[in-house]
Amino acid sequence: MKTVPPPCPEPEVGPKYWRSLDQLADKPEFRQWMEREFPAGASIAPEGETRRDWIKLMSASFMLAGAGGFATGCRRPEEVLTPFAKQPEGYVHGKAQHFATALPLRGSAIPLVAKSHDGRPVKLEGNPLVPGGGGTDGFAQASLLNLYDPDRSYRHLKGGSDAKVEAVRDALAEVAKKASANGGEGLVFLAERSSSPTRARLQGEIAKKYPKARWHVHEAVDFAVANEAASLFYGADVQVFHDLSKARRILSLDCDFLGAEAEAYRLIRGYARGRKPSKETMSRLYSVESLMTLTGGNADHRLRVRPTDVVRVAARIGVAVLSQSGATGELLPALQKLAAGAPVTDAWADECAKDLLSAKGAAVVMAGYAQPLAVHVIAQAINSVLGAHGPIVQAIPATVPKADGGIADCVADLSKGVETLVILNGNPVYDAPADLAFGEAIKKAKTVIRLGQQEDETSAASTWHVAGAHFLESWGDARTADGTVVPVQPLIEPLFGGLTDIEVLARILGMEKALPLDLVRATFGQDDAAWRRFLHDGFAKDSAPQPLEASAVQLGKATALIAGYTAPASSGFDVVLQRDLSVDDGRFNNNGWLQEIPDPITKVTWENVILVSPATARELGVSAAAHAKDGQYRQPLITVTVGQRSVEGPVWIQPGLADKTVGLALGYGRKVTGRVGRGSGHDAYPLYLKDGRHVATGAKVTAGKRRHLVAVTQEHGLMEGRPVIREANLDQFLGKPDFAKNMDLEAHLPHYVPYKDKPDGRSFDKRPQNIYEHPYDENPETASKIHQWGMVIDLSQCVGCNACVAACQSENNIPIVGKDQVARGREMHWMRIDRYYSHDPKADVNSDTAAEDPQMAIQPMLCQHCEAAPCESVCPVNATVHDEEGLNVMAYNRCIGTRYCANNCPYKVRRFNFFDYNKREPDYAAAQDQHFLNFGNLYKGPAGINRNAAPEWEIIKLVRNPDVTVRMRGVMEKCTFCVQRVEQAKIARKVAVGNSGDVAVPEGTIQTACQQACPAEAITFGNILDGESAVSKLRKDPRNYSVLGFLDTRPRVTYLARVRNPNPALAKAEGRGEPDSLRDYERFRHESPFEQHGHGEGHSPEKHAGSPAQKGAA
Amino acid sequence: MSDIFPKWTNQLPLMAAVAAPILGLTAIAGITYYVTPKYTRVGYQPKQPVAFSHAIHAGQLNMDCRYCHNGVESSWFSNIPSTSTCMNCHSQVKKDSDKLALVRDSFASGKPIEWVQIHKVPDYVYFNHSVHVNRGISCVHCHGEIQKMEEVAHSKPLSMGFCLECHREPEKYIRPNELVTKLDWKNTGFDGKKAVHDWKVQPGQSCSTCHR
Repeated sequence: MKTVPPPCPEPEVGPKYWRSLDQLADKPEFRQWMEREFPAGASIAPEGETRRDWIKLMSASFMLAGAGGFATGCRRPEEVLTPFAKQPEGYVHGKAQHFATALPLRGSAIPLVAKSHDGRPVKLEGNPLVPGGGGTDGFAQASLLNLYDPDRSYRHLKGGSDAKVEAVRDALAEVAKKASANGGEGLVFLAERSSSPTRARLQGEIAKKYPKARWHVHEAVDFAVANEAASLFYGADVQVFHDLSKARRILSLDCDFLGAEAEAYRLIRGYARGRKPSKETMSRLYSVESLMTLTGGNADHRLRVRPTDVVRVAARIGVAVLSQSGATGELLPALQKLAAGAPVTDAWADECAKDLLSAKGAAVVMAGYAQPLAVHVIAQAINSVLGAHGPIVQAIPATVPKADGGIADCVADLSKGVETLVILNGNPVYDAPADLAFGEAIKKAKTVIRLGQQEDETSAASTWHVAGAHFLESWGDARTADGTVVPVQPLIEPLFGGLTDIEVLARILGMEKALPLDLVRATFGQDDAAWRRFLHDGFAKDSAPQPLEASAVQLGKATALIAGYTAPASSGFDVVLQRDLSVDDGRFNNNGWLQEIPDPITKVTWENVILVSPATARELGVSAAAHAKDGQYRQPLITVTVGQRSVEGPVWIQPGLADKTVGLALGYGRKVTGRVGRGSGHDAYPLYLKDGRHVATGAKVTAGKRRHLVAVTQEHGLMEGRPVIREANLDQFLGKPDFAKNMDLEAHLPHYVPYKDKPDGRSFDKRPQNIYEHPYDENPETASKIHQWGMVIDLSQCVGCNACVAACQSENNIPIVGKDQVARGREMHWMRIDRYYSHDPKADVNSDTAAEDPQMAIQPMLCQHCEAAPCESVCPVNATVHDEEGLNVMAYNRCIGTRYCANNCPYKVRRFNFFDYNKREPDYAAAQDQHFLNFGNLYKGPAGINRNAAPEWEIIKLVRNPDVTVRMRGVMEKCTFCVQRVEQAKIARKVAVGNSGDVAVPEGTIQTACQQACPAEAITFGNILDGESAVSKLRKDPRNYSVLGFLDTRPRVTYLARVRNPNPALAKAEGRGEPDSLRDYERFRHESPFEQHGHGEGHSPEKHAGSPAQKGAA
Repeated sequence: MSDIFPKWTNQLPLMAAVAAPILGLTAIAGITYYVTPKYTRVGYQPKQPVAFSHAIHAGQLNMDCRYCHNGVESSWFSNIPSTSTCMNCHSQVKKDSDKLALVRDSFASGKPIEWVQIHKVPDYVYFNHSVHVNRGISCVHCHGEIQKMEEVAHSKPLSMGFCLECHREPEKYIRPNELVTKLDWKNTGFDGKKAVHDWKVQPGQSCSTCHR
């Protein structure tokens, strides 16, 4: 049958959603650029070569290749198999093993299950057995790569030259001898935070044995300020954590708990569970913030204020809460004084307070790490009125002994003279507050012994650099935020003989045989059965301390503190120095996976940028002007100056940022780091000062002339303004739950019936018209009647954290390509997280004021596994085809690289290997140059393989998952639905049932990598033929819709429409009664998804048998 | 005007027309015979470090394949036995044989014996032993009559076409599960079609079955 493409009207003009300021402005240059499948430069040959040169070169290559083939012969090389001489018990070659372990990070830990293939860890996943566990974040996923980092510290150093481990041990024994003699006089420790019970025990022993020794703790990004505030209320040293699953109203005071805060993966899980749309239980999120963060972007109400104004707004809301609840006492006048001049409308503060109070016992206020103690105290004071202590805010007695001080005290000690400074992890020379001049102070110590996993700024300043062991290499223990003890179980011997902090401490205590396992066992206890259980489950049951009673909360000290606090005066610009979601405070700086993952908000890769608001940009006279040439962002460099210190970097105009505020991410611009991190970004630490820390005030900003290339993915794979995200407010959703199906063309055109499961579970009934061939319509017998796979992504639950992208990269051997390639649109991530803005339709689109206070929406985009796949019908070599179970599969060996499939993919999810990324070092260094067309290794062809590279470069190969093919140059790739996991599960099932026909894989057996990692539980995968499976049920959910459903590609990945839950009273006051995008949609289309338009859903195709489009096809 | 080309060149087109198909057919025949796994792989019989005879162990002694290849039922890989497996018997049987010197050395020193690999599918093929031997597909289909081989040789092409022969018509090859290691089994009355139907044997024929 001849198939005629249906009319495909251009979307009406005007942006409904936009991803960048250029898209908002919608100039012709931009449209021209967008309409190309690959950004310019992606598909061109390097300049300076003519077509004739290429043909010459190619024919020469073919000749060489042919000659090579004959010379080496066709017979494959002889290989040997070496089985064990003595088979280890329980080991079967080829079967992956799993071990429970945990990633210790600052004061907590992420419980993990590590998969090991033949003794090498290849994948980390969340441990669902641990209370609160299951999901992970991007850091946990990518921490695996740190194990195989060729640039990690592989040797011990003394004064810069190699030292043996015995020498290190002798040096530590020497410290022990001296300290025992003089009681620890002149012995100073500077440790990073740790939750390890064993380290806490050893710290206690050191305090006992060496009473004169000093113990300081330093973290550049320190979440302990929340504990400090809570301790004032509980009258004892406590640690707090939040259980957000019970929260119905959340107010965030500059607290990015969905992104940068401690244990975000756990908070996201709790938060997302509360976001299932329902009248009674759906939570509402208010966010007061200065930067544009994931929390603000996901919030139902967002208030942008300068960072120094957050305390005033907090006080103002506190006043409203206290006065509305009729509280008396001294706190109210203290807050009133502080609230003076708060940049918040009365409606906002009062309605927010009223709403919080309406959910007493299920409402909570959270304050961010960047804010001073006063804000945290106000938050806890409001929490005590709201009854949040107990059900949501839980406090446990501190599990770690109190330190003698922080980095400032350490510098004070140093100036008095220190015999031995022991630095346990961390990189203080790089990340200490700039005005402490730690790099100078450290020189005053006679001996500096430094433990670290990287040779960095601090090792250069130390007498001894002791190579640290990765957490997958050595024994340890840790606690999660609620105090549960988890094992840090190694899977492999230390690759380079590294030591851990507990080992170093034990040796300083004078222990001769300080084996980490023995140290952990000594803390845990000698009960073997309990120990085995501990290692098997990945946590010790009931090891979390009992949370303190909420009745213990006292307001006294808090009132005094607030009364004595004066809010900082606002002058000049405020600078916010934030934890970066790629490199943290700099500790993941040399991790290529994290460097290449786009920032969740800016979508910038490989570096940090200086964030300013559109109004500030106007004031400075800088403009985005990205599309001057081929969509490459060449950003003007600007300088931020605080006092005598300044930072220069590329400017980035961030919609939604508070005015008079500058945002800067920490962790880049390292001076001593590995090959990956070298030269990436600029160092923001010069503005990180001991007072104020994350917020510097009184800054000056000056624009420069020079420009700098920024590799940003926000415009890669643009979707031309169609309503690919569908969202409504809760009341609208309750009025018409299936509004999402009533949008765009599928609401109108009869034969574009949106794909829907039929009640009998059959999914491939024949439609009157298909644009693309449907493999199961053509040959129904090819479709499996046992499994048909599908995925549903809940946009109400997804917060956009990137954990899935990192998990996918790790599971599927996705290479990194380097900054230069990302800027050309060649990044290889199979998943991308599309971040859309939509603006208040009242604002003028032609000025950038529209971008000042946008709403944000997030959509993970991956191969949609269309049943009638546009990619398949254009492949000339059948390299992309359908399998029996609904997967759109790629046969890499068949692919000849025409890229037709990517061109025809409406979702733009296919990725092409322009180079042999797995064989060559990406061009990190080249990318740092101002000259964009500086080709590096990748462009040198076979010569780009550095055969004389340092042998440790080989180690990076160990990270690859043996279950997935490593792709070569010239082939297309894309999401496979983790076909390796699907096939393994099917095989395991068949093996288990033997000769029986019960071969259907039970529900819940298969989790794709992204689904497993997702802390928000937004991704569901399973068999759609099984009517009882979670995915089948979600596909019948009224919110379920297909992206670009009118194309009738019938994707197997469908989305649940996003539901916002704004406070109706406040929404009315703000004039934003429905999502901005929806109002724009209604304005341009002159229709509403909440009204029936006489066509669409429920309309049988037969009725329209005589429609013109149908006649055309006949 | 003198001739530029001699007269016989008039025959050139005809000669070309005759020669081209002959050359073409020869090339096709040559490639089919010499450049496919049937030629390049079948018969490959490298010398192994230890003169282990499958004919004695699996043939004469009738040992089950899974005594040594014990991972075959649970892993994608059918393991080569460790030295300790050999020594289970050979610490008693023929314990002083010269042929077993290397085995004894390996057991004493812990240094593995380096067996030469014979059967190998390319890296992009994810063949799984366990699912075949647990679902009625015998070793003999891919490895040949091992129980008759003094030294193991590659007996089947193991090409993609070879795999698909069975994946398309499993009823011709399937047998009761408990007989998969009975290499000399002859089908007398086992209904393959019924087994394929009852066990829901639906061997995949799409790319993702083997390539990931």
